[in-house]
Amino acid sequence: MAGHSSTEHDPGLTLTTQQPVAQQRIVDLLQAAWAVFVKDLRIELRTRYAINAMVLFAACTAMMVSIGTTFIGLRRTEEALLIQASLLWIALLFAAISGLSRGFVHEEETRTLAALRLAAPAIAVYLGKFLLNLALLALLGVITSLLFIVLVRVQVGSPLAFLGILAAGGLSLATSTTILAAIITRASFKNALFAVLAFPLLVPPLIIAIQGTAATLAEGGGVLALPALQFLIAYSVAMFVASLLLFRFVWEA
Amino acid sequence: MVQQMAQVGKLLIGLWMAGVTVVMFLVIPQYEGLGNAGRIIIMHVPTAWVSVLAFAISAIFSGLYLWKRNPTYDDYAVAAAEGGFLFTALATVTGMIFSQVVWGIYWNWDPRQTSIFVLLLIYAALFALRSAIDDVQRRRQLSAVYSLFAFVTVPFLIFVAPRIADSTLHPNCVFIQGSTCDGITLDVGMIGLLGDRKIQLIGLEREGDLVTAEVIVSEPGLSGETTLRPSFNLATGTMADRPEFPGVRYQLGLEYVDPSINSGLLNIEAPGTGVLDNRITLFTFLASIAGFTALFLWMLNLRANLLGLQWALAQRDGGRV
Repeated sequence: MAGHSSTEHDPGLTLTTQQPVAQQRIVDLLQAAWAVFVKDLRIELRTRYAINAMVLFAACTAMMVSIGTTFIGLRRTEEALLIQASLLWIALLFAAISGLSRGFVHEEETRTLAALRLAAPAIAVYLGKFLLNLALLALLGVITSLLFIVLVRVQVGSPLAFLGILAAGGLSLATSTTILAAIITRASFKNALFAVLAFPLLVPPLIIAIQGTAATLAEGGGVLALPALQFLIAYSVAMFVASLLLFRFVWEA
Repeated sequence: MVQQMAQVGKLLIGLWMAGVTVVMFLVIPQYEGLGNAGRIIIMHVPTAWVSVLAFAISAIFSGLYLWKRNPTYDDYAVAAAEGGFLFTALATVTGMIFSQVVWGIYWNWDPRQTSIFVLLLIYAALFALRSAIDDVQRRRQLSAVYSLFAFVTVPFLIFVAPRIADSTLHPNCVFIQGSTCDGITLDVGMIGLLGDRKIQLIGLEREGDLVTAEVIVSEPGLSGETTLRPSFNLATGTMADRPEFPGVRYQLGLEYVDPSINSGLLNIEAPGTGVLDNRITLFTFLASIAGFTALFLWMLNLRANLLGLQWALAQRDGGRV
């Protein structure tokens, strides 16, 4: 922190050396990203477009699943856990797809893309939107799992591991879809195209997330979920780095 | 001169592929247990290889396009994606035919089937994206980005997914030399998974040197059950009777029994293990891979040139108007 504060207080004096300049740039970038995030969050809280769409979608799905599984009277077998995990991730996936493109599509609809392009560097815009998607997904994940626990009577055997897989799965969703949202803003049939582009990239992490979640629903399944957690984090890191490298080209297109 | 060379090359590829086809159907020996179905690997594996190669080439040219902004690179990226889509479809269909004949099921979400399905989806998404953007410059740039972005997932699909999932019927341990299917050791009364079949070892009975296991095998999806009785010869230490799984050409073998006759090692004996041990088969296989690769590269070049011509014509007409 000490190094940061010195550059923040008096950047003019440190311009002679290379490293503080780079540091200052990163700080500026992160500040810009935070500003974009706060702006988007404020817009989102004002309109609640994405939150409403995602949460209502998740609630409807949980309701339908609850109605369906009540008739079956699922016993707590290995298959039942897999079914519950699959249904949870289906709800999460489609709810996420209905809301995650909002950040960029909104800019296109209100014709503010050009202004944003002037106001912030590309990476900052990406990071801001990514943070927004991450926040939305965290909210969605918590609400959907609570609904499933209450309505579908999902019992979580190892809560900590369950939260870990939920977080890592959400991270994979956010890293894979944020750049796609930017790609589709300039295309026609935006929302349908978003789903079409996102789905193939989400198949691998979703398979792993479903298996991992099923493992964490069983008692003492935390250890079994570890490989899944590793896979999801590795996938997220790869997608995040690829997004950082490629976003410039999307932004200037 | 160049044109004549291209003509000769085209003829050579045609003759080469014709030769591979003839050898595939007429010369290669039938493999025990697979019958004529085994011949399809001469087509299946090379088309699968080309579909991955095409995807890589498409990604490379997409990267080159983003770097140099030369429309020709974009033409090559599109041509590779189109060719790749065709070959991916071929690999999927030939694989499904083989799967139905040998395993009794067209599709079972084996990790490799999942991978190739995702590959098909990515190609389809790429074409959908291209058709949804009107501005040419933007279309090229955004589809190049998507192509590269999707390519990042390929290592995960090809290398990670098949290793994480425990259940595969795909012949990892059948066609690839040096790898093994490990099988599963079960105590009497215990349940285990072999491929995507649930098996339960009911009992082990000894008669002289012969130990016979009673195994209940459940179909994938638990739709039906059968009892199989593989046996093991204690004196020679080899498998004796190896019954076939119902509806499939795989056999259930009892590979080992512990001395107290409490547990046994059960394994799938896949027909086709060591198909490539045969010299002629191996060479035909390699010739087929080379032939398909050359065919793909020729198609790639032709299609990319065609796209370039189309673009030039469109620009000339546009200029007149």
